[in-house]
Amino acid sequence: MKDFLGFTRRNLIIYFKDILAIFFSLLTSIIVFVLYLLFLKGTFVDALEATMNGLENFVSGGDIDMLANGILLTGILGTAMITVPYTCLQTIVKDRESGVDSDICATPLKRWKIILSYFTASTLCSFIMTSLILTVGLVVIGSMGDLHLSIGSYIAAYGMMFLGSVSSTALFMLIMLFFKTSSTSTAFFGILSAAAGFVIGAYIPLSQFSDGVQGFCNLFPATHITSLIRNILLSGITESIDSSIGGVDNGAFITAVKDTFSFNAHAFGTSFSGMNSVLYVGILALVCVAAMMVVYSKTYKK
Amino acid sequence: MKIIEVKNLTKVYKEHTAVDGISFDVEEGEMFAFLGENGAGKSTTINMLTTILKKTDGRAFICGHELGKEDDEIRKVNGIVFQNSVLDKKLSVKDNLLTRGSYYGLSKKQVLARLEPFSERFEMKDIWDRKYEKLSGGQRRRVDIMRALINNPKILFLDEPTTGLDPKSRKLVWDYINYLRKEHKMTIFLTTHYMEETRDADHVVILDKGKIITTGTPAELKTRYAHPRLVWYTPKGEDAENLIQHISSKYVYDADHYNIETDSNLTEFIFEHKDEIKDYEYVKGTMDDVFINLTGKELAS
Repeated sequence: MKDFLGFTRRNLIIYFKDILAIFFSLLTSIIVFVLYLLFLKGTFVDALEATMNGLENFVSGGDIDMLANGILLTGILGTAMITVPYTCLQTIVKDRESGVDSDICATPLKRWKIILSYFTASTLCSFIMTSLILTVGLVVIGSMGDLHLSIGSYIAAYGMMFLGSVSSTALFMLIMLFFKTSSTSTAFFGILSAAAGFVIGAYIPLSQFSDGVQGFCNLFPATHITSLIRNILLSGITESIDSSIGGVDNGAFITAVKDTFSFNAHAFGTSFSGMNSVLYVGILALVCVAAMMVVYSKTYKK
Repeated sequence: MKIIEVKNLTKVYKEHTAVDGISFDVEEGEMFAFLGENGAGKSTTINMLTTILKKTDGRAFICGHELGKEDDEIRKVNGIVFQNSVLDKKLSVKDNLLTRGSYYGLSKKQVLARLEPFSERFEMKDIWDRKYEKLSGGQRRRVDIMRALINNPKILFLDEPTTGLDPKSRKLVWDYINYLRKEHKMTIFLTTHYMEETRDADHVVILDKGKIITTGTPAELKTRYAHPRLVWYTPKGEDAENLIQHISSKYVYDADHYNIETDSNLTEFIFEHKDEIKDYEYVKGTMDDVFINLTGKELAS
C-alpha cells in the first residue's frame, strides 16, 4: 500500500507544486468569471427577466441576482471539472515522453497500481480544486444574500464534485492514451479549454443550441454534473422565488428558468432526470475505469 | 558466483530485431561493460534485464530469479541509472528520493537510513532541498545514482551514465562508480559508447546490430584486435623515416610526430637509438582500435 500511496502522492505534488499548471487548469474558469463581470451577468439577468411575464412584483431583483450568481458558480465548477483533471492527467503523457515511466516500471510497483494511482491522484486534484472553488463561491455568494440551502444540499454539492471528478478523470484517462507527446496533449488542451465553457453551457445556456449539439455536449460527464449541481445549489432559491410568487403562475416561471438554463440535461430529444444523469455519469465512469484498466495494462507491457 | 546469466536473449520489434540471441554471464562484484554504437542494442538489453521491456525470446536469470517469471524479485535487486534523467524536475531532490523510495514500500525513515552511508560521499547535503531542475548536469547524475541506490541493489545498471557531461563531471561520476564497486562490492553493469570508459572493466562485450561480436577483458581485446603504436615526436625528415623502416612500413606523420604501427618488441630498438628517439610514447592499442578493427566503424568520442 505504501508504494501506491507514494506514487499517488508524487502525482499530486507534481500538480500542486507547479503554479503555472494550476493557473492554466483554472484559466477557463477564470475567463468565465471575468466574462460574467463584464457582460454575462447582464445576459443571464435579461434572460431571467424575459421569462417573468408580469411577475416583476413577486420576484425581487436580489433573488434574480442570487440566481444569476448561482448559475455563474455552477459554470465555473463545470469548466474546472473538465480542465483540472485533464491538466493533472497530462503527467501520464509527460512521464511517457521523458522516460519516467521506465523508472516507475523498473520498481516493484505493480502495473495496475500505477494506472490506479494516476487515476486517484487526478480525481483527488479535481475534487480538491472544485471543492475549493465551491467553498469560496458559496462564501462569496452567501455574503451577498441567502441561497436557502440545507445541510443536505451542501453535502450533496460536495458529493457531486466527487462524482464529477471521478467520471471526468475516467474519461480523460482514455483520451490520454492517444497522445504520445506533451505538445499534442497541450494542443488538445487548448481546444478543450476553449470549448469547455460552451460544452457545459457556462457562456450560453445549452438550451440555445440545437438538439444535436446538446446531445454532443451531454456526452461529457461535466455537463451532467453542471446540471445536477445547478439543481442542488439553486433549489433553495428557486423554491423561495416560487413561494413568493405564491402559485399565481402555477410554477411557470421556475419551469421556464430551469428549461432556459438546462437544469436537466437534454440529449437527442430526451430529457434526463437528475437520477438519470447520476446513473449516466456513474455508468460512464465505471465503463471508462474498466476500459482504462484493460488498455493501460497493455501499454505498460512493452 | 554468476549474478546474471543470459541465454539467447532476443527482442524483436515488428520487423526489426534489436537484440539478436545474445548470451553472456556476469560474475558477482565485477564490472561488466557493454560497448557499442547507438542503436547496437545496449539499452534494449538493459531494459529487458531490468523488466522494463518484455523479452521476445531467450532466458535470463538475475540473482537466480528468472526474467519474465519472477520480475518482482528482480526489480528488488536492480538499481538503474538511465541514459536520460528520469526524476521529476519540479520536485526537490528530497521529494524525488523519498517518493522513489516509497515505490519500494520504504518509509521516509527507511529511505534516509538506506542513503545515509552514501550521503557524505555524494555530497548530498548542499543539494538536498534544491529543485532537480536547478541542478547542474553533474549534480543531477549524482542524484540519479543516489536514486538507483535507494533499494540497496545488488546490481547497478548504468546506461551511458556520462553521456553529455563535461570532463570534470565525468570524472566525478567515475569516482562514484569506482567507490560503489570497491567499497560496497556492487556488481556494475555498464553500457557506454565511450571506449576508454571500459578500460577498468573486468569484462567487455562488444555489441553490433544486436549481436555480440566479441567478449573478453580489455587487455585481451587489445591484444587480439589492436596494434601497439610508437608515437615519436621529431621533425619530419628522411633520416627519421629511414630509421622507422627498420621496425615498420606502416607510419604517418601527424602535426609534430610519427605515428608508427608495429607488432615488434621495441625496447631493444629504442635503447639502440636512444640518441635519436628521445621524445616518444609507446601505446598498447586502445579500445577505439579494437572497435574499429572489429566493426569498421568509429564510435563517438
